Amino acid sequence: MAKAVAAGRVLSQRNKLGTQREYESVTILRPETSKSEIADVITRMREVISSRGARLTKIDSWGMRVLAFPIAHCRKGIYLYWRYLGGSDVVAEFERNMRLNDKIIRFYTILIDEDVDPEARPGEVTDDLLEAATDPGPDPDELARQAAAEEEVRQREQEQTRREREELEGEEEFNAENEVP
Amino acid sequence: MRDGDRDRGDRDFKGDREPRMRRRFNAGDTRELVIDYKNPQLLKNFLTDRGKIVPARISGLTARQQRQLTHAIKRARMLALLPFTSG
Repeated sequence: MAKAVAAGRVLSQRNKLGTQREYESVTILRPETSKSEIADVITRMREVISSRGARLTKIDSWGMRVLAFPIAHCRKGIYLYWRYLGGSDVVAEFERNMRLNDKIIRFYTILIDEDVDPEARPGEVTDDLLEAATDPGPDPDELARQAAAEEEVRQREQEQTRREREELEGEEEFNAENEVP
Repeated sequence: MRDGDRDRGDRDFKGDREPRMRRRFNAGDTRELVIDYKNPQLLKNFLTDRGKIVPARISGLTARQQRQLTHAIKRARMLALLPFTSG
């Protein structure tokens, strides 16, 4: 214990020695943020996390979503999900950096688990994962517009087939009435 | 006169309160519901049209589930996944 105190690594008396805490954060970025800007945010935050002896175990992009209410005059936002192992100092530093970044309009961190053995939670972010996380995803408005357009086309087709069937039936009736005995 | 008062005519619940009716709000099986703030589609089932949280009396959830639910909804609201108010 004393050794840990001397090393400045005791952040909580409650924590068991040699364990870390598992946190998850969700950040919302402005919808106009480009792929390269998202990549910049991720690299920056990775540096912040690793500089405090913490480890990023998962990063995921939820894509662009329509917000339930506007935040900072934005109607949509790009969601990023992070999971990492570390101490409370990482969260403080992570959130401080989030606050400094004007691309980020909202962040929220949740403690998932305490006294986690870092060895027991493998999982390292690979370059593929990082690359996938930078993708802002399709615009939900665009998707809705496409869906509406497809729906319209389908309805028009249905209308067309209905009309054709009616014409056909009318013809059959006509033939039946005028059948020569 | 309110409905509740009128029904008390047979004096079965004299002096006591009527037993509360627990009504199922959504049809699905909620016994093994995993409540997570990251699943707004599920949480939406437990909001009224105006975005209020449905009480346990109506949602039919257990007390523990209802606690988890309110917590999850409040978290989801922070992330703009669910509305604070609507309509």
